[in-house]
Amino acid sequence: MRALANLHAAGAGFVPPSTNDFNLPPISDSVAWLTKPVLLVFLSVIVVSTFFVLSSRKAAVVPSRLQFAGESVYAFVRNDLARDVIGHDFMRFVPYLFTLFTFVLTNNIFGIVPLLQFPAMSHVGFPYVLAIFSFLVFHYVGIRKQGLGKYLKEIAFMPGVPLPVYILLTPIELATFFIVRPLTLSLRLFANMFAGHLLLLVFIMGGDYMMHDSHLIMKLFSPFSFAFGIALTFFEFMVQCLQAYIFTLLTALYIAGALADEH
Amino acid sequence: MTQEPSNRREENALWSIFGYLVSGLLFWGGVGWAADHFLHHKYFTLVGLLVGMGGALYLVWLRFGRE
Repeated sequence: MRALANLHAAGAGFVPPSTNDFNLPPISDSVAWLTKPVLLVFLSVIVVSTFFVLSSRKAAVVPSRLQFAGESVYAFVRNDLARDVIGHDFMRFVPYLFTLFTFVLTNNIFGIVPLLQFPAMSHVGFPYVLAIFSFLVFHYVGIRKQGLGKYLKEIAFMPGVPLPVYILLTPIELATFFIVRPLTLSLRLFANMFAGHLLLLVFIMGGDYMMHDSHLIMKLFSPFSFAFGIALTFFEFMVQCLQAYIFTLLTALYIAGALADEH
Repeated sequence: MTQEPSNRREENALWSIFGYLVSGLLFWGGVGWAADHFLHHKYFTLVGLLVGMGGALYLVWLRFGRE
């Protein structure tokens, strides 16, 4: 919205969307931290909790439509993510994975819900926090299962390698487990949401600009830009679901790796 | 261990390999870059990147190729 206002105020030439469109101003000047993404994150918590409380409150053997929807999501996370990846003893992690999946999914989909239309995960701080949680969970689980020394040894020293080679390999393994994993986890989610939102901005703002242009040919082509924007919105929906799934899947894979006895 | 072991193992392997390659390049490339920076050379970054790549590939082979 602000981007569109800027566009018309400028008046001259097309101003492409930029990172500035992600820095939304505080809703009230007195509370500097309360911006739209923060509000959306709170809203997502309310939406997710309300949905699952309502869908499980009047649980019946023959489920209502709402209960069926809620249980489908839960069954998906429990069976396809937790059980298939972690194996036995997976129930301990279902609450975390389930929360993670629904939270990320809801926030991502907010990116294409009319009026909300902003994926909070396009601010890198939110994925960082989620990745730190996952990081703490999978290392904690590994340390609890195998003990600190053995856990670190299994990470750092691949068996069956001549001693000097560890100088080459150990830093790579440590970097993988302690830096690259949490970093890629968060950056993948962030970059997908950021790029997706930017892509939609380009086509919708472009269509709007062309529609208001004085040249007839620009006006004629404007609907194509909007149509592409709408098509990309469906594409974005797919990406948003996929990213929520991948984030949860990788967390489950890391937990499974930390629990596994052999490396 | 899992319902569809082969499928999940491949998925796991994919992301592990990706992680190894990235961190191999980052770490040894970074070491090479630091060496260049402080010793005022030009070639250590390249050497570091190659060593990192080689090390990462070796790790991948150790972990997934030996089975």
